[in-house]
Order: sequence, then C-alpha cells, then structure tokens
Amino acid sequence: VCQDYIYDKDMEQIAKEEQRKAWKLQGRSSHLPLRRCVGEKYSTWEPTKRELELLRHNPKRRRITTNCTIGLRGLINLGNTCFMNCIVQALTHTPLLRDFFLSDRHKCEMQSNSCLVCEMSQLFQEFYSGHRSPHIPFRLLHLVWTHARHLAGYEQQDAHEFLIAALDVLHRHCKGDDNGKKANNPNNCSCIIDQIFTGGLQSDVTCQVCHGVSTTIDPFWDISLDLPGSSTPFWPLSPGGDGSTLNGESHLSGATTLTDCLRRFTRPEHLGSSAKIKCSGCHSYQESTKQLTMKKLPIVACFHLKRFEHSAKLRRKITTYVSFPLELDMTPFMASSKESRMNGQYQQSVDVFNNDNKYSLFAVVNHQGTLESGHYTTFIRQHKDQWFKCDDAIITKASIKDVLDSEGYLLFYHKQFLEYE
Amino acid sequence: MKMENMSLSGLDNTKLEALAQDIYSDLVEDACLGLCFEVHRAVKQGYFFLDDTDQESMKDFEIVDQPGVDIFGQVYNQWKNKECVCPNCNRSIAASRFAPHLEKCLGMGRNSSRIANRRIASSNNTNNKSESDQEDNDDVNDNDWSYGSEKKAKKRKSDKNPNSPRRSKSLKHKNGELSSSVNTDPYKYNYNTGINYETLGPDELRSLLTTQCGVISEHTKKMCTRTSLPDSNTAVESDGYDASDGQVLMSRLQWDGSSDISPSDSASSKASTNNSDSKKPKKKKKTSLNSTGGGGGGSGSVGGSSSQGCLAGQANRKKPKLPVPPAPSIYDNLN
Repeated sequence: VCQDYIYDKDMEQIAKEEQRKAWKLQGRSSHLPLRRCVGEKYSTWEPTKRELELLRHNPKRRRITTNCTIGLRGLINLGNTCFMNCIVQALTHTPLLRDFFLSDRHKCEMQSNSCLVCEMSQLFQEFYSGHRSPHIPFRLLHLVWTHARHLAGYEQQDAHEFLIAALDVLHRHCKGDDNGKKANNPNNCSCIIDQIFTGGLQSDVTCQVCHGVSTTIDPFWDISLDLPGSSTPFWPLSPGGDGSTLNGESHLSGATTLTDCLRRFTRPEHLGSSAKIKCSGCHSYQESTKQLTMKKLPIVACFHLKRFEHSAKLRRKITTYVSFPLELDMTPFMASSKESRMNGQYQQSVDVFNNDNKYSLFAVVNHQGTLESGHYTTFIRQHKDQWFKCDDAIITKASIKDVLDSEGYLLFYHKQFLEYE
Repeated sequence: MKMENMSLSGLDNTKLEALAQDIYSDLVEDACLGLCFEVHRAVKQGYFFLDDTDQESMKDFEIVDQPGVDIFGQVYNQWKNKECVCPNCNRSIAASRFAPHLEKCLGMGRNSSRIANRRIASSNNTNNKSESDQEDNDDVNDNDWSYGSEKKAKKRKSDKNPNSPRRSKSLKHKNGELSSSVNTDPYKYNYNTGINYETLGPDELRSLLTTQCGVISEHTKKMCTRTSLPDSNTAVESDGYDASDGQVLMSRLQWDGSSDISPSDSASSKASTNNSDSKKPKKKKKTSLNSTGGGGGGSGSVGGSSSQGCLAGQANRKKPKLPVPPAPSIYDNLN
C-alpha cells in the first residue's frame, strides 16, 4: 500500500535461520579448496526495541574516535608496584584481549570472589569508563599475591616475572571458559590466554655422527633474548645468516638490533664434548648441535631482553641499546624457513604476499635505574599510530621516535593478519 | 544485459568495452543500492541516530597534549591522598602504602614471619576455636591453596594481626610490672589512666562508664577516656590475673543480657573485623552516645564487652590473638 520497503520481523527471522544453515553447509563441503566456514556466520549487532528506547532516553554517548582518551587511564603506584602497572598497561592495550573482555566473553565458574579473570574484566571496564582519575589496582595486587605466592612481598620486583605469573594465573582461572572442556594440557588449552600468547618453540638436536635429528616442541609465552655485554658471548652469530636489512632496521655499525638477537637465539649451537646426547640412531653418546626455531607463532609475541644479570660473579643491569623495529617479519626464524634453508634454498626472498609472520609493535616496557632500584614505564599504542607513555598515574602523549629510541626491556608485538582456524 | 553464450575472442574492442561498462555499472549500482538499503533499514528500525553524540561529550574526552599536564589535562602528582580498603582486613589504607601493608597483612615478606614467630613463641597454647572463627572472615584464602597446609598455618597467624602492628612489642611487657608509661598491651587492658577495669565491680564500672566513654579502641586496645572528669590514676596490678579471676569477673559483670556475647563468639569476631574500619571514623560521634547511654543498652553492652574482654584476656594468655575488640559490637547495637 505505502509502496515502501518493509522489514518484517518473522520473515527476517526465517531468512536469518536459513542463511545460518547455508553458511554451515558451505563450510562442511570438503571439495572447496579453502575452508571458509568460521563456525557461525558473523552478523552485525542490531539493537532491540527495548535497547533503542534506552538509548533514546540517554543521548549522551561516549564515542571512541582517534582523538579520544577513552581506553587510557593511569594507575596508582601502591608502593613500588610499577612492575605491575607497566604490565597491566600492556595487557589492557592488547587488542584481542580487550575485545574478549569488552564483549563479556568470560563466564566465571569460580566459587569465591578470587577469580583473576573477573578482576581483569573489571579492569577493562575501569579503563573504558571514561574516568580521568587514575585507577587503584589494589584488588588486582591482592589477587595476584594470593594466587602467586612466590611473587608476594613488598620489594622491587621484575616486570617480566610478573607478566609470566599473571598469565599463568589467568590461564588457570580461564579453564572454565573452554565451552565446558577443562583442558589442563598446555598444548591443548583453548583459553583466551593460550589463544593469544602461546607459541610453540621447536628444539632440534642433531647428532654429529649420523645426522639424525631429535625434535621437541615446547609451548612458550615469551622469548628471552641474550644481549651483548652479558657474560655469555654474543658475537659471532651463526654463519650464513640472513640479510640484516630484512626488517628495515637501521643497522648502524655496532648497534645491536632485535633481529640480531633473534638470529643468535635461533643459531645452531654446538653442545660440546661435555654435553653429549644419547643418539637413538647411533645408540651411543655423541656430540650434537642444538637449534631453536619457531614452530608456531603466537598472536602476541613478547620479547624479553635479558638486561638483568644474576650470575654467580655479578649482579648488574645491561644497558646496551638494542634497536627494535615497528614492523617485524618473523619468517627467517620459523622452523619452516629452516627446513627450506637446509634443503638448499639459501636465498630466502622476502615474500611480500606472505603475511603470516608479520608483526607490529604495540607496547614497550622500559626500566630506568639500577638493578637494585629502578622504575618501570610503558609505551603503548592506541589508534593505529598514536603512542602514549604510561608512567604509573601519568599518561602523556609520546612520539614514535620516543618509543624507538627507548632502551627496551619487554617488547610486545601483535600479528598483523589474523587467520581463522 | 543479455546473457549470450558467446566467446569473447570473437568480439571487437567496442563490444568488449560495452560489456566492461555493463559490468562496471552493475557493480556500482549494487554497491549504491546496498548502501541505500542499509540506511533505509536503519531509519526504519530506528537505530540510525545511534552514531550521534553531543559536542560536549566529544570535547570532554579529547586528548590533551601540553607540557605539565597529562592527556586528561590534569596536573601531575595530585593523587597523593588516594585511599583504598584492604580486602584482607578491611581497613582503609593510603593507596601509595597499600603494598607494604598488604605484605604484612597477608603474612608474607621478611618481617611478617619474624613477627608471627615471636607471637607463636610467646603463646603457650593455641585456642583453636577462636582461630577458626577468625578464618571465616577470610573467604579469599579458602580456595586456591596450592602450597599446602604449612602456608595455611602461617596464614592463620597473620590473620590474628590485621589491626595491631605493634603487638609484637607489647608482648615483651607480658610479665613486667605496670609501667607509668603507656602500656599498649591489648591483653591486659591497662590504660594510661591506670584503671584496670578487669578488677572493677559492676557498680564501679557503671560509675566509671557514666563519666567516661569506655569504648575500647580495637586498634590500640585502650579504653577511650573522653570525659569531663579528671581521670584517677590508680596504680593497679597489671598481672597476677588468672583464669579464676576471669570467671569471677564474668559472673559479676554479666548483668544484662550480654550473654549473647561470649569470647568465642564468632559473630562479634566477624563483626569487629569487618566493621572496625568503617566504624572507626564514626567513633567520635558514638562516644557521646555511649556515655549518656547509661543503664540499659549503653553500659550494658559495654559491660558485656568488658566481660568479653576479660575472658578474651584470659583466653589470650593461652593464645596471643585477641578474637574481638569489643568496641565495634557497641556500634553494631547502636546501628
């Protein structure tokens, strides 16, 4: 009658249902070259009548634009707790983690009030509340100290240690989120922490006599990298290394780069005559070489520059400047690359169309001071190219130059392109 | 466009161009129509306005980039007076000193174990019932104990000391004579007035309490002596008090239905620990109520708490931890 297009609720319901079925069907057909099915078809959110009413009555909105403070908040120092504050800033600015918590995906199954994941969720609410005064993370501190006793104590602590302990507690408390599957197995857990942070490190031990290789794969949450200036020698790196300009870093003579550290990390290492391995091929103890490569990269890769030396002889901080890039390509350090290298393909041409291993820097934790007393701060990235410095309760704008010139202690990189499995 | 089954190789350029043009215009039309439908639907269903925000809100949240202020436009270092409530002991603590407090509160760190050990050393027996009552407050620590019972035991001891960090020092005075200086020993209830209410009779207590506040600070364990009358500085023996005395006192003082309060009363233990903090700032207000409370409720409850205090003191000879400072229970009644 009115000649206009109308939207009938029931018809739409039917259409939606049919579309969903079709989507599922499409995913299951094995003759398709690419499995496009993601489980459920993504549909954009539409508000219900009731929600519309509420929204109309409350016209004041917070819209997150590029010049918006929402999502940023200071953290009060509770007494030498900057080591915790800096990690909290990095985590709350991890995009996938943020999306997980803001879409309320955590269903808590813990009886008591002591779920760290719930507290994390609360933390995101605080950060996106629009409040300008800094947040006091006393509950978080209490929960972490309760669940990770080895960390507790009012002393200056290591941010890296805190990160690992926090991820561990979160992972343990997340177990209930597995759609009912309580996976205790670190290799098989699908909690959000594991989905984001867990990678696989491949260790190949090659027997020098029969050239048989024994391979193990271990899960990891971070990569700890040795630095030049420590008591273990840094240079030379492995022979026949890859092009040093692979990642576009300024390779000034003398300045160590993150790529250098990674190359050293993945170099083949002769284990020496004092550390012979029992070879199953030779059935005897033989000298061997060991090499580490990345089997599976996590979505968020955390690099830990080992600046604190705690050897028997000395305790000190290594302040060598290490330059790190904004964009990092992990391809040369992958297990698959190593295989192709060993198969004779020495020149690894940079495949511009292979985006799997490209990472972007999004958070940098820095330590100023000495081993005994120092202060942690974090640079975090917001809205693609804006960087901010988080110094406990004070958040200020920072330039990309500030970030890249900083010393660097913990470097957080995020995969650029995500794939559905 | 006609769906012709023809091979493209046989066509000349103009035809190809025409085809390309057709495809192009189809694509553009689809895109435009798609957008039109989206907007139409949004308007029809009523959610088209959702994107709008008011100018004011936008201005509110703009990032500030000026020297001397943070991104919110706030000056640095104005957050000195922030406070928070300890989840363990429920006291209000200055935020910048929360970590050292929590360390002691949870019984971790180097000093806490020393204090705890001293407390263990000074107590001969342990009263297990009161201990467990104290633990009920701490639901945080009930689960997730991955480190075994030894830590749990340590935890209990630290539970005993949420409120009085000076307790370890006071233990040294246990067997000493009454000193003229302030004796903050919580188990003896000696006050700087020198009055030991444990040895007072009910009438004496009543008269005392009508002239003085009588509220016992759960923090320092001293009796509040706010009053208009001068305090009498009676030298009273602080020690030589044993179980039998306590019993006698208990019967003497139990005149008013304070029977609901007993030394092992978990309710008041919980109440004190949970409410002590919130009640502390209100203390000044309540004291006047207490002194004028006179007969019935006021002195009654104080009396009751005194009796509890006595018994607690007695209990404390065996076990260092005071289960309940009586004062907050008064507040409970008055509330």
